[in-house]
Amino acid sequence: MNHPPPPVPKILLVEDNEMNRDMLSRRLADRGYLVVLAMDGQSGVDMTKSLLPDLVLMDMSLPVLDGWEATRRLKADAVTQGIPVIALTAHAMSSDREKALEAGCDDYDTKPVEMPRLMEKIETLLRKAGKEVPSPTETAL
Amino acid sequence: MTNQIPRVEDIETYAQDIVDTVREPLLMLDITLRVRSANRAFYETFQVTAQETENQLIYELGNGQWDIPALRTLLQDIIGTSSVFNDFELEHTFPVIGRRVMLLNARKLRPGSHAELLVLAMEDVTQRRRAEEEVAKATKASETANRTKSLFLANMSHELRTPLNAILGYSEMLREQSVRRNLQEFGDDIEKIHAAGKHLLALINDILDLSKIEAGKMELFLESFDVSGMIEEVASTIHPIVEKEGNTLHIERAADLGVMHADQIKVRQALYNLLSNAAKFTHQGNITLKAGRELMDGSEWIVFRITDTGIGLSSGQIVKLFQAFTQADASTTRKFGGTGLGLALTRRFCQIMGGDVTVQSVLDEGSIFTIKLPAIVRETNLDAATAAVTALAALTSAEDGNGDAKESSPSGNCVLVIDDDPTQRDLIHRFLVREGFRVRSASSGEEGLRLARQLRPIAITLDVMMPGMDGWSVLMALKDDMHLRDIPVIMLTMVDDPKRGFTLGAADYATKPVNHARLAQILRKYSCPAPPCPILLVEDDPAARGTMRRILEKEGWNVTEAENGRVALECIERERPRVILLDLMMPEMDGFEFAARMRRRPEWRLIPIVVVTAHDLSAEERHRLNGYVETIIQKAGDSHEALLTQVRDLLNDCAPPRALPLPETAELHLPLT
Repeated sequence: MNHPPPPVPKILLVEDNEMNRDMLSRRLADRGYLVVLAMDGQSGVDMTKSLLPDLVLMDMSLPVLDGWEATRRLKADAVTQGIPVIALTAHAMSSDREKALEAGCDDYDTKPVEMPRLMEKIETLLRKAGKEVPSPTETAL
Repeated sequence: MTNQIPRVEDIETYAQDIVDTVREPLLMLDITLRVRSANRAFYETFQVTAQETENQLIYELGNGQWDIPALRTLLQDIIGTSSVFNDFELEHTFPVIGRRVMLLNARKLRPGSHAELLVLAMEDVTQRRRAEEEVAKATKASETANRTKSLFLANMSHELRTPLNAILGYSEMLREQSVRRNLQEFGDDIEKIHAAGKHLLALINDILDLSKIEAGKMELFLESFDVSGMIEEVASTIHPIVEKEGNTLHIERAADLGVMHADQIKVRQALYNLLSNAAKFTHQGNITLKAGRELMDGSEWIVFRITDTGIGLSSGQIVKLFQAFTQADASTTRKFGGTGLGLALTRRFCQIMGGDVTVQSVLDEGSIFTIKLPAIVRETNLDAATAAVTALAALTSAEDGNGDAKESSPSGNCVLVIDDDPTQRDLIHRFLVREGFRVRSASSGEEGLRLARQLRPIAITLDVMMPGMDGWSVLMALKDDMHLRDIPVIMLTMVDDPKRGFTLGAADYATKPVNHARLAQILRKYSCPAPPCPILLVEDDPAARGTMRRILEKEGWNVTEAENGRVALECIERERPRVILLDLMMPEMDGFEFAARMRRRPEWRLIPIVVVTAHDLSAEERHRLNGYVETIIQKAGDSHEALLTQVRDLLNDCAPPRALPLPETAELHLPLT
């Protein structure tokens, strides 16, 4: 009770599909994350710059600006290049994976997401960046 | 009566009767192309009378509608020289009958009692041609339909997957919630929805894969990977399924398992399918996965053997086992789950990689499934076996040869790969690593030069077309640097299409005017075992040829001269030189086309080429050369494998261990021209 509450990690989810956005954001919120949403690549880039989230989950096929280009821009900007980006691709093609890593993504995962696998990737990147990771016991309802 | 000499009129009637019996329209013409007579078939086909036809010039028939320049030329040729033509196809709009396709044959009759005559036979092939066109059209339509079907399936499966992912996702969320809120009775039902959704997703994926295979659209993504590591990954994924039925999984890996070159995802899926099958049909038993390398029919294979102590199969069941949608027993699907497509897919996956799956089984005792795959899978698996043998033979010899050396000299003995395209760079990189070379790569010309100075690699592969500093500029810079100029450089380039790559294989490069010492130094690398050795000098300038010849002869070479690429090719055909000195800019066939053609002949492609050219290539010339490379690629794209094999061979040939460094200081400048 004496300790200040640990800071809640902020995740920006860039995803144009409404249901995927809804599912993933709620499941992340359930696990104690603060989730901010963007629906296209351009607003994803803008919001990353203004909100400075702890991590970005980036769908690759996005309107306006695709995920590869959006990531490239984030990684080219001194302010945002340190923010880890996880690419989410629809196909489990190795070429997509390589394209994502080439664009500067720190990790990638395929859709449909498997939560345990994705959570492990998120937590690893957050820890590497020296950020707090919500513990499951605190968030269990 | 019987011995009477036949009258001329009788003979003509006789001949006319025969001619009238022929079903092809015939015209008898004199040498001025005037119609002497025609046959019945002619009048019927063209719906004209004898009065309208006889004694008319052929090109005046039908008020000049028979004036067909091509026909006239052909007929005049017969009169003059050729005396016959065969099967000339003519499409023309004739009077009355309209547009027809006629197959024409004509012949000059042997001179005899009659004046010189031509016979022109016309066969109406309009219907046949139309039918052929219809067939072609139908074939094209069916090809289009097939493509549309494949596209439809691909889109459809994507469309199906999107809502299905929502079903899976939300049911998973509900399941999580039901656990948290202790709603066990909901949890069980939600679990069933989730399981059914997953089954449906698996079905869709399998159907898509199968339809891709049927349509010949299944692509292989070949890569080199560690077999042992892949087995570990599969084992960890399969673990829960194995334990579910109380089974134990044993894995036995041969020590020499090493690396294989195949489509990793498909190999993994094949293994996963067979292991999950074994787990499904075995209860509290043992499942063993044995993996090894075997030599069969002179080539290396990777063999996976999956043994279970499960329910086994009857011989009747084995027959139907690999067919789509037929599990061994109709009740199996209900009892054991699965899509019924797994084995069919597994087998097709293995087959498109040049291998197969076989099964041995005893009812109630267990089954053994065996996957055999070439250790090196080729894109074109037609002669997969033979190709694998050569590649492997080279691979083993390379490993035997310099395996120790590469461990003991950490900085030397590396190959530098300069390429701006990450995929291609990675491809060449991995390939060379597998071939036993240490590899460093650079993504631009500038970086490449920096690394070359720092690492002093034993050889460099250099992409021709790069943004910024292109391959030619890098090559010139390398050859201008006295510390780097002796490093063999292999020029190659690739375009986006993964099947197209091209190596110019330039082993060396010298600028004009070439000085004696430099040339001698270059040639020392290609030392001649028993002098004089043949050397081919390809150069269009006779003066330059003369000077070079004198230098070369002084160095103990037997010189053959060629003034352009075409002549040079003829020379190689006659006698294979040990080295080729090649000028780039030549009339008729320039140096690049020559190099390109030469590299296409497997028995010639290892002959070292020393490019000799004007001191600096201008930006415009480089641009031209790049364009040239692009055209070469469009003309004859090598497959990836062919290209890589070529790079390997060139490397092995032109990059021997640098045990005796050449003196770099003893340079005399003796201008050649």
